[in-house]
Amino acid sequence: MMHQAPTAMTIAEAGPVRGQGFLSLQALTRRYHDFVAVDAVDLDVAKGEFVSLLGPSGCGKTTTLRMIAGLVPASDGRIVVAGRDITAMPTYRRDMGLVFQSYALFPHMTVAGNVAFGLEMRGLPKAEIRTRVAEAIAMVRLDGREDRKPGQLSGGQQQRVALARALVIRPSILLLDEPLSNLDAKLREEMRNEIRDIQRRLGTTAIFVTHDQDEALTMSDRVVVMNHGHIEQIGTPEDLYERPASPFVAAFVGRTNRLEGVQQGATVTVSGLAIEAPIPKSGPVEVLVRPHRVHVAPHGAPPPAGRNRVDGTIRRATYAGNVVQYEIDAGSVTLTAEAATAGIGGLIPVGTAVTAAWAVEDTLVFGRPS
Amino acid sequence: MDKPPISPALKCLAAIAFLFLLAPVLIVVPLSFSGDVFMSFPPKSWSGRWYAAILQNPKMLEAFLFSVKLAAGVTVVNLAIAVPASYALVRLAPRGAEAMTSLFTAPLLLPTIVLGLAMLIIFARIGLLATVPGLFVAHLVVTLPYVLRVISTALSTLPIAVEEAAATLGAAPATVFRRVTLPMMLPGLVAAGALSFLVSFDEVVLSLFMSGPRLSTLPVEMYHHVESRADPLVAAISVLLVVFTLAIVIVVDRSLGLAKTFVK
Repeated sequence: MMHQAPTAMTIAEAGPVRGQGFLSLQALTRRYHDFVAVDAVDLDVAKGEFVSLLGPSGCGKTTTLRMIAGLVPASDGRIVVAGRDITAMPTYRRDMGLVFQSYALFPHMTVAGNVAFGLEMRGLPKAEIRTRVAEAIAMVRLDGREDRKPGQLSGGQQQRVALARALVIRPSILLLDEPLSNLDAKLREEMRNEIRDIQRRLGTTAIFVTHDQDEALTMSDRVVVMNHGHIEQIGTPEDLYERPASPFVAAFVGRTNRLEGVQQGATVTVSGLAIEAPIPKSGPVEVLVRPHRVHVAPHGAPPPAGRNRVDGTIRRATYAGNVVQYEIDAGSVTLTAEAATAGIGGLIPVGTAVTAAWAVEDTLVFGRPS
Repeated sequence: MDKPPISPALKCLAAIAFLFLLAPVLIVVPLSFSGDVFMSFPPKSWSGRWYAAILQNPKMLEAFLFSVKLAAGVTVVNLAIAVPASYALVRLAPRGAEAMTSLFTAPLLLPTIVLGLAMLIIFARIGLLATVPGLFVAHLVVTLPYVLRVISTALSTLPIAVEEAAATLGAAPATVFRRVTLPMMLPGLVAAGALSFLVSFDEVVLSLFMSGPRLSTLPVEMYHHVESRADPLVAAISVLLVVFTLAIVIVVDRSLGLAKTFVK
């Protein structure tokens, strides 16, 4: 996967004190009849922070965002912004910018008309509206297209108009609801950086909803992983990846090997194999190891670093240019390892006897119901 | 966009279908230029005398003007009722909204003759028979379902996210409706208005029940004319009506695009 440069670690490391965030969700709940879409979510976001809500579809991330925007009423709990309870405040008084997956531009207005709308609602003088609209359009690099209608723009351009429209009102919080999902891969990456750059420059607090772990990891100061309406883990991208709080988080954020075994003291026994765990305990567990932390060396070659070792045979090698994935048949278990490629001839052929090894610290152990 | 080629057989079939639909209308055109005193096809002589005769028929001219005014009034009231009603049914979606929509559009399914008979009985009792308000209400009853249907459809196909976006930008509900919802519904409004106007203008059955010796719409007047005389005057009027209707449709098409307006 990727190694994140430790950006904005100061706010990211801890996050605000519980209940003290610039945006504070307190036991926020949304029920639909018997179904609990969002289940007592607590979250505090600092001013200027970029926080992603990450999870599979139906996990409650969009409902949470819509409650923050006031588009869905909360069944229970509170939403507090800058110390003010806004739970019952109607959407149009909340002063939040929302960027939709579908762009949701006004089709009958020009680009400039779209961007000016929020300022007109605030009753600003015409001259000020004109300057701020021009600034916002320049910020998303759409100068010269002010008089186009949304229908005459590409998807990426439309999403940039939506971004300008949401930011021009200088919202207290910028809400982004899967804004990149309708764009193609290349444009998505470009927009990612653009959104992040603009957000940092303006110091806007942003909540970003996505089901794409790459997006969440690369863009966010902190990521909130949600599942079945509740929060699985809140942490920096590094936290989530290196210290996932649950097997769900480990599996959702990045790929992982999963082995079931029984732990006794510091040793986990997985179908006859002994694996050393970083923390001693006892009971049935599952052991997770990231494929790229598993080092592979031909049997007999100097043993690779790391104290957990499994001998096996390469059953399949999948070459993907920058990395190669090995499927290692170790008798009772199968492991996937991922290695960076290094020039021609570096691949280990299928059928080779190998030793797979990884560090004890890279062994993630979770208790499981027996 | 590339379209798949249409086979000659299908083209032929389409031509026959069009001919079948349009033949009666097309026959009216030569009939209207007849120089004869009686309607017959083909005419024995040609002239424009029956067009001139229209101008000399104050009853017809008066009926035409009344029909236009009636249709226009009905259309305005229709829109005034249907826009808020659709908004309530589609956007606020109260319990039983679907049942209500079915109820409101029921007059479309009822035989007009049954409706006419029922109205005749009720209106006779309350003294609305052969009055302008009576005719107005009758037309409203048969046109409102069309208008409601078209506007509800137009409203329900609008992406709600656009209205939500307006709300997040600080627009109160009434402002969202005025600045965003209504302009986006415009093609639907124009279509519904045109439909309401044309259905009212063309309405015969109810108008026959509701009209009286001194209150008559153009279709009723034409019907009475055909009953008592057999001259080609009505053919000439018919041609003008076709032109009039086409003009409305063309104006709608030019301003909004026919496909966008009628095909949703």
